[in-house]
Amino acid sequence: MNKRLWIATATAATAALALTACGGSSSGSGSSADGTTTIKFVAADYGSNGQNPSQAYWDGVVQAFEQANPKVKVDLQVINWNDISAKLATMVQNKQYPDVVEGPGYASFAQNGLLYGANDVLDASVQSDLVPALAKAGQQNGTAYGIPFVSSSRAFLINNALWQKAGLPMSGSQAVAPKTWAEVETDAKALKAAGVQVPLGLPLGSEEAQAESFMWEMNNGGGYTDAAGKWTVNAPANVATFQQLGKWVDAGLTEKDPGSVKRTDLYADFASGKVGMLNGMPTQLDDIKKNNLQVTWAALPTAQAGGTPQTLGVGDWIYGFKPGGHAAQIKAFLNFAFQKDNQVKFDEEYNLLPVTKSAITQVQTDVPALVPFLNALPAAQFVPVANPAWDTVNAQVKTQIGGALKDPQGVLDTLQKAAATAGQ
Amino acid sequence: MPEQTTTTPAAHPAPPPSGARPARASGRRPSAAGARNSLARLGPWPWIGPSVVLILMVVVWPVVEMVITSTHKISGLGIDFGSDGIGRYRKLFDDARLGPVMAWTVVWTVLVVTFTMVVSLALAQLYNQKFPGRRFTRWALIIPWASSVIVTSIGFRWMLDEVAGVLNRAMLDLGLIHSAENWTGDAAHAKPWLILVAVFVSLPFTTYTLLAGLQTVPGEVYEAARVDGAGKWQTYWRVTLPLLRPSFLVALVINLINVFNSFPVIWGMTQGGPNTDTSTSTVFMYILGQTDVGEAAAMSVVNFAVVIVMVLLFLKVSRWNEES
Repeated sequence: MNKRLWIATATAATAALALTACGGSSSGSGSSADGTTTIKFVAADYGSNGQNPSQAYWDGVVQAFEQANPKVKVDLQVINWNDISAKLATMVQNKQYPDVVEGPGYASFAQNGLLYGANDVLDASVQSDLVPALAKAGQQNGTAYGIPFVSSSRAFLINNALWQKAGLPMSGSQAVAPKTWAEVETDAKALKAAGVQVPLGLPLGSEEAQAESFMWEMNNGGGYTDAAGKWTVNAPANVATFQQLGKWVDAGLTEKDPGSVKRTDLYADFASGKVGMLNGMPTQLDDIKKNNLQVTWAALPTAQAGGTPQTLGVGDWIYGFKPGGHAAQIKAFLNFAFQKDNQVKFDEEYNLLPVTKSAITQVQTDVPALVPFLNALPAAQFVPVANPAWDTVNAQVKTQIGGALKDPQGVLDTLQKAAATAGQ
Repeated sequence: MPEQTTTTPAAHPAPPPSGARPARASGRRPSAAGARNSLARLGPWPWIGPSVVLILMVVVWPVVEMVITSTHKISGLGIDFGSDGIGRYRKLFDDARLGPVMAWTVVWTVLVVTFTMVVSLALAQLYNQKFPGRRFTRWALIIPWASSVIVTSIGFRWMLDEVAGVLNRAMLDLGLIHSAENWTGDAAHAKPWLILVAVFVSLPFTTYTLLAGLQTVPGEVYEAARVDGAGKWQTYWRVTLPLLRPSFLVALVINLINVFNSFPVIWGMTQGGPNTDTSTSTVFMYILGQTDVGEAAAMSVVNFAVVIVMVLLFLKVSRWNEES
């Protein structure tokens, strides 16, 4: 090779290295000469349609925290829910770890030793204030890694005006909600006959299919795992659940193709009065109020008469990453973020449920509409969040389980196999 | 090129390529001449260097990273479990979804490019005629090109929506259908619409390329054809199309690569779903990335190989163009 080419190649390589190095160091966090430490905090955005962004909430918290703790700076990055998992994955893959994350699941990170245990980053007094069912869902092999930050539970939601239009029974101003799947079918047929566009909303599209399927499955005695934590995705109860849902789809009682229906789109359709009933959640309260809808909240219907209605609990997690080595600063920040006033403010902004007992008491008096959801929380069931394979299974269930409406056994078998081999 | 880099204005009009040599002896001390000379020694590199660096950084480096990634086992959350040899490729080729995805990718590419080329030929012919309002219609054709593809796709997705879509409303009111359809809800309904939208966004570029080609056809050859008594179709087949070959081939190959790589149309309208029923290999790669980054990288490598083949085809075609 001639000399010129060598020089040029060397120059190019040096330039490339220099530029890469710049890229690497600018996003790091650490201590500076004056003794302040910067921690990098990544949080999910709970705002909808560009309204009430979480950036505003966290800016306020961070500012107050930095005032109280002049030695700690918080570098905040708020990412919307659709992208946060992918962005987080990129950070982890490039080893540019954040210090604190609020949002998606913790299990794989914990399994690979990337996370601090809750004891290292949160005061014992705050930990004992957490709702036990939620705190337990944050444990992996007996150690708490994921700290619940907000929670939510689900309830069956009915549009009263459409209910009356279909001549279905009312009790005072409230609809008489179906208790069993047989009643759901009868009611859906009546709604369809009355010209309701979507009698039963079934959002099995990729946004939240894992939660929607789980709610129907658990009320038929099914679920993703058995009591021992073994995968049971293709258990007979789950297959039967999808056979039943598939029949409703074929009978035109739902959308044409629930496997492509996103939850947020369905909620918008409900708010505009085009959906008769669905599995709802408290975040819909705002839209319902804005559109002046009269609705009934009820327990989820069960497959057989006399069954105990089950509901889904959802927790969003906050956790500290170890590689930065900022346990003390993370602890200071989390203790601050979990103060009752901060919790209450966040939950009331987004109609989500608090995770500390003290905040629950406050929200109960402030927002009576949330009380049924708060009451359902202690007995709610969670998807297997502590299982490190869940992150992979979750992504596959989201895109594929809609197909189980047409081919229950085949699709659930595929997912069971994927769950059993997840991480290989 | 080296001549231009030995740059005193008084330089010999045509120094030999090694013309920089004699000056070096006098350039021991760090003088202006010396600096010029060491610059000269670099030959063309100071000029093409930046672009080489750019290519190394934005093309070569990512490709190397992609290949390395495809040999690692990396979870959907970015945790690297170390080298896995060809394990990810094996997993990819064992995936039952890969076959249908590749088949649809071929059908998608062939149909979209064919329709685009045929319609564009007609449109280019039309725009090559003189008619009132031609300038306006030529502008109008740019619109699908000027607006972002993802915006167009999301616009179509909502027009086709089951509950809120305008198409269902119109067809119901006209009595064409009895109940609302979800036009993007399953593969059978979604695929024709995906193709239609992809053709729609590909038309402007293709039409303008062909139009430019048409305008280079000299009037004399048509005159000669007329004198020889050729009919309209005969003139088109024997004169216009052969002379259009250079721009036709360029448009064809660029469209092949573009459509094969197309992500926003499918992602904006169906996200490759339901399941992976409407995913092409590019969309499939993105879906894989949610559960297994290594497997997604393996898919990218396969895609990259296909594109390389198409680029080689393009180079061959352009040489063929030059020769004829």
